[in-house]
Amino acid sequence: MSDPYRVLGVSPNATDEEVKTAYRKLAKKYHPDNYADSPLADLAGEKMKEVNEAYDQITKERKQRKRGPQGGYANSNGYSAQNTEFYDVRSLINAGRIADAEQILDGVPIERRNAEWYFLKGTVLFSRGWLDEAYNDFAAACRMDPSNGEYRAALNQVTNQRNGMFGGYNPNVPQYGGVGGCDLCTSLCLANMCCNCFGGNIYPCC
Amino acid sequence: MFGYVKPQKSELLVREFEEYNGIYCSLCKSLGKEYGMAARLALNYDCTFYALVLISASTKPFPSFQKGKCVVNPLKRCLFCKENGMEFRQASALTVILLYHKLIDDIHDSKTIKRFLHILVLPIVRHAYRKAADDYPQMGQIVSEAMKEQRKVEKSESPSLDRCAEPTAHMLEQIMELSSGEELSSPRSRVLNRFGYYLGRWVYFIDAADDLQDDLKKGTFNPLTVRFRLNVTSKWDKIREAKTFANEILNQTLSQLDAASNLMETNLLGPIVRNVVFLGLPQMQKELLFKREKTNV
Repeated sequence: MSDPYRVLGVSPNATDEEVKTAYRKLAKKYHPDNYADSPLADLAGEKMKEVNEAYDQITKERKQRKRGPQGGYANSNGYSAQNTEFYDVRSLINAGRIADAEQILDGVPIERRNAEWYFLKGTVLFSRGWLDEAYNDFAAACRMDPSNGEYRAALNQVTNQRNGMFGGYNPNVPQYGGVGGCDLCTSLCLANMCCNCFGGNIYPCC
Repeated sequence: MFGYVKPQKSELLVREFEEYNGIYCSLCKSLGKEYGMAARLALNYDCTFYALVLISASTKPFPSFQKGKCVVNPLKRCLFCKENGMEFRQASALTVILLYHKLIDDIHDSKTIKRFLHILVLPIVRHAYRKAADDYPQMGQIVSEAMKEQRKVEKSESPSLDRCAEPTAHMLEQIMELSSGEELSSPRSRVLNRFGYYLGRWVYFIDAADDLQDDLKKGTFNPLTVRFRLNVTSKWDKIREAKTFANEILNQTLSQLDAASNLMETNLLGPIVRNVVFLGLPQMQKELLFKREKTNV
């Protein structure tokens, strides 16, 4: 295995805190949530594994903590096979054979298309990059079976993507560096100016 | 269709800013060398980004820069890449090919004087286009296929948004994949493939949202007018609703683009690519979809 410090991008002299921060940053970057239903999930999984292993190795080597690694993020993105009408479709999706899965789904007659069908169709469309129709199908699955956690999780995920939680722009969230007329920064500057009396520094306070 | 993919300059390091300009100037120079002085006018940010991605993701050593004279402004000294590499020649070809198709498209859409002007420049552009398509036949074919496909989709009965975006997305997907120069199953090629797809999709939707009002006035095709059943008489809040929706689609597309670019192995130019994807594109959404409306009201 390559140098674990290189994998995390920190120097071997980094403090435990720095190692942890670097690890968290990378784990967030390659987190399975970012790659749910993405055809690149396996590559991200490999990266995640590499990062986890590097972190584990470093923590083990340092032996400074009583308890070893905290395990990191779990990396499981397989579909549960319980109570499914579309076992074959799910296993095709798990195997990454998206086109085959879609073909079977499209062959299902309209009266047999239940909530699970819409969920799986959404999954297939999502991996092809048809994000908008995927969103509609996940929403349809949730409408037909509101109590199902699996469908709900998929819908939440795409809703969050739309709201800009995974990048993009949300008009309702103020951005960093938005300078208003009387925000904290300006007030501090003003306070500082008063103290210094415009360069005079009469009161030796700051 | 051009000018949406830019970095957020305020967040670049000075070194990165200079390198970005260096790539911009090198592409300009390469355009001039390959396709004649006039081709330099076609220089744009999007194809600069294309060259940037190719260079940053390539396994070759980091390019070295040197100072040289700017052709357009003799008083200015710019940075140039020392060699006119593969990447710049590919990006120049892409610029010319896209320009040609855009011109053809404009001739189809526009009327009267504008159309006449477009027809006037067509022979010059066509000449350059033929050379580019000769040098990079696959690239020429990918783009013309995409344009054909796009026209077909636009003529169909109320196409879905995803279908409308597919030709552009697929076009960039193939172009990126082609330029990786590796087997299609290799990780690098796969990441570039998805990167291209979502970038193309993003560009298509930002273009659609940006042109919405123009298209309404002229009555030309726009996927958002189809989806929201808009027409010239539509009220402002209906248009705003469509734009907010477009923003959501763009965000969702960016979530996937971000994911792909996280997996890209890059050299020292990588941070510029990340700046464009993580800051520049959201900034563009903000400016085009939310700022302009305030001044328009």
